[in-house]
Amino acid sequence: MSPWLIVLIKSAVLLLVVITSFAYAMLAERKIMGWMQMRPGPNRVGPWGLLQPAVDAVKLIMKEDLTPNTADPLIYRLAPFISLVTAFSVYAVIPFSQPSPGNLWAIGNVNAGILFVLALTSIGVYGISLGGWASGSKYPLLGSVRATAQMISYELSMSMSLIGVLILAGTTSLAGIVDAQHRLWFVIPQFVGFAVYLITAVAETNRAPFDLVEADAELVGGFNTEYSGLRFGLFFIAEYINMLTVSCIATLLFLGGWSPIAGLSIIPGVAWFVAKVALFMFVYVWLRSTFPRIRYDRLMAFGWKVLLPIATLNLVVTAIVVAFTG
Amino acid sequence: MEMSPGQFLLARVDDVVRWAQSSSVWPLTMGLACCAIEMMTATSAEYDIARLGSEVFRPSPRQADLMIVSGRVSQKMAPVVKRLYDQMADPKWVISMGACASSGGVFDNYAIVQGVDTVVPVDVYVPGCPPTPDGLLYAVNLIQQQIREGGRGGLLARA
Amino acid sequence: MTFSTTPLSPELVSQNGNVMVLSMGPQHPSTHGVLQIMLEIEGENVVKAEPEIGYLHTGIEKSAENLFWSQAQTVVERMDYLAPLSNALCYVLGVERLLGVADAIPERARQVRVLFAELTRIASHCVWLGTHGIDLGALSVFFYCFDLRENILDLQEATGGARMHPNYFRIGGLNGDLPDGFTERLDALIAKFPGRMKELRTLLVGNPIVQDRTIGVGALSREDALAWNVTGPSLRASGIAYDVRKAFPYCGYENYRFDVPARSEGDAYARFLVRLDEMDESMRIVEQVRKALRPGPVMTDDTKIFQPPKETIALSMEALIHHFKIVSEGFRVPPGDVYQAVEGPRGELAFYIVSDGGNRPYRIRTRPPSMYNLQALKGLAPGNLIADLVVMIGSLDPVFGEVDR
Repeated sequence: MSPWLIVLIKSAVLLLVVITSFAYAMLAERKIMGWMQMRPGPNRVGPWGLLQPAVDAVKLIMKEDLTPNTADPLIYRLAPFISLVTAFSVYAVIPFSQPSPGNLWAIGNVNAGILFVLALTSIGVYGISLGGWASGSKYPLLGSVRATAQMISYELSMSMSLIGVLILAGTTSLAGIVDAQHRLWFVIPQFVGFAVYLITAVAETNRAPFDLVEADAELVGGFNTEYSGLRFGLFFIAEYINMLTVSCIATLLFLGGWSPIAGLSIIPGVAWFVAKVALFMFVYVWLRSTFPRIRYDRLMAFGWKVLLPIATLNLVVTAIVVAFTG
Repeated sequence: MEMSPGQFLLARVDDVVRWAQSSSVWPLTMGLACCAIEMMTATSAEYDIARLGSEVFRPSPRQADLMIVSGRVSQKMAPVVKRLYDQMADPKWVISMGACASSGGVFDNYAIVQGVDTVVPVDVYVPGCPPTPDGLLYAVNLIQQQIREGGRGGLLARA
Repeated sequence: MTFSTTPLSPELVSQNGNVMVLSMGPQHPSTHGVLQIMLEIEGENVVKAEPEIGYLHTGIEKSAENLFWSQAQTVVERMDYLAPLSNALCYVLGVERLLGVADAIPERARQVRVLFAELTRIASHCVWLGTHGIDLGALSVFFYCFDLRENILDLQEATGGARMHPNYFRIGGLNGDLPDGFTERLDALIAKFPGRMKELRTLLVGNPIVQDRTIGVGALSREDALAWNVTGPSLRASGIAYDVRKAFPYCGYENYRFDVPARSEGDAYARFLVRLDEMDESMRIVEQVRKALRPGPVMTDDTKIFQPPKETIALSMEALIHHFKIVSEGFRVPPGDVYQAVEGPRGELAFYIVSDGGNRPYRIRTRPPSMYNLQALKGLAPGNLIADLVVMIGSLDPVFGEVDR
């Protein structure tokens, strides 16, 4: 088979897998939050409510697609796709298990994988900020201004927290980083970096307690206030896929990717990978149902005055240690 | 329309769509008066409207499917209710919750609109002052039934 | 149909320079009902906030003038819909003073009134805490609070048949005795309460984000609080321990031991802590009432005011006539006026009731605590962020049924 065909098939399979995981991540969030709040959560559609994401999707597709008169029609319609496409594209370079002959578990093995991921997630902010701006409405505008400021500032600390890992691993290839962790997961030497990453990842994906971009108590719906139907759904999907993405990155860079715990290599690597990602997703839900929302200016101050210096210090210390110990 | 697995593949597309729409009715976060508190109670642990897939209260009318007029509508609020209804994307449904929203209730005076159906089309009326959360859940069930039977709010039913 | 009033539109407000005019409400998730605030903002800083009320104006005071004395209680209960029993208690006490039967109310009725006034305070604070939690973004608090409130509503439902507006207090006593099994359910609630409060405190009081969001936000000085006529928890958080239950005891509050929680900071966090402490104090009163409850009559035996018991109607001609008269034309209240205040969950709730000697109130003027508390918002908001404004509204705890009436 031609390599293009293989890539095409892999992409199709991956698209399906990612969309399915998004759907069930969402359902799991609704269910787990329900249990944390002493209630059952959705349970009417299909067994245990398993078809709930599907019916939500169908409903959103069938919903009227409104464009406000004041909106910039082209950018308004384009914005959700920017968010979605960048969110999906990241998966082109994420390896899900041990690279085997023929490279079964990833679409592309880019040797600058982590840089590619960071570059794409940076583009993702355009979807949100353009969407809010092009709506021609006041609440979305405020939401998109918040989004731009928040994502730009947190991206910096996020990248800083990852560089420590890159120095330790000596490579920017995602598979290479996982291989470098075969003795010790980077979460232990890079504990500070891991903590900073965890916090910035929540902020980067606009999730509670940093969900200021769509803070419904303050900005109604934030940047997506004017969006209806499928376009709103696309933003929604992009948000969850970004959550999955940052969880994948955390797994690959800090938790040893697909490497098994306690030598249980009888369980395939991909299962370990999924389990670790699921752990992060659970933390997301846990945070959301526990913490109040932080205030916008505090969030910025926290990013610039606390996280960035810590991440930088971590980077410097790591660099010095690596330089002297080789 | 209850479907067994065998029928699923043979079902018509619009049946499936209506079933999907009926199972994912997202209400608008709009509280007016006493009934709003009972509307909130319907989401609480004891009643949990989430079971019906309706816990996703959207504050933006663009994303909401269901307007629950929860309480008395004053002459000053009526234009706002109308505007919110107009801002909602099709297909959309309206529950008139409580005696005041349905008919003015005990407030037969200069200030209260005597029934919100003079302002927006209402699909289901819930009696009570205020109705119990069970009453509201039943109303959501009735809305779901209407949607499945191709009721007025449905996009396909109108085409 | 045509509407006499149009909503205030952003275009009507003057615009200058970098200021953007933003209409918050009347449908906004955190205006706690139908408050509209016209904001002038620079970035996210509020330059000016103009609250616009009246979206829930119901004409309750006017409606009450056209109803019998006993019927008017129905509409009065629907003002403050978070604490209907406080409204009912205030109205009932006022009319009883006009009638001159205030001292003839049986002891058990007075005890049960106190019991429900305090339970309804807890229920009201539960709604406040739950919605305030949502304003802050803490979603789960809502469910824990509403679970507690549900138990209280069950008790209300057991007495009056309705969950929110049971109409259980009547002029002259209560509508029937407590139902069977009531005390057991009350005991269960009393047993459950401390644990749930402990959970809520663990979740919120020490939470750094909650502290960050509320400390120093919406600080209301002692002088400002007095100048704006703020009462209730908001006043007590500003350092003045004024509580109608202590200052002008009614309904036998002088017999119960309780403290009036007060703090001096005056900010949203202080109001938050004062309300939490108040819930505990209310439960303390409930426990004392529970211990003091003794069997006895729950209605005065003055048949000029009350329908005589159903079983006497068939036996006594007089009872039949009284029954007929009261049902068909109500009872008459001697001319006069009275100002009756109670401590509602939001502050000093009062009715000024005037009678011209007829079977309907001549005038009922309400002193709604939330309306006076809400006035302070205009002074508090400028210079703060939108996010703080949301916290301020939540911490003042307005109820629009009461503000707009």
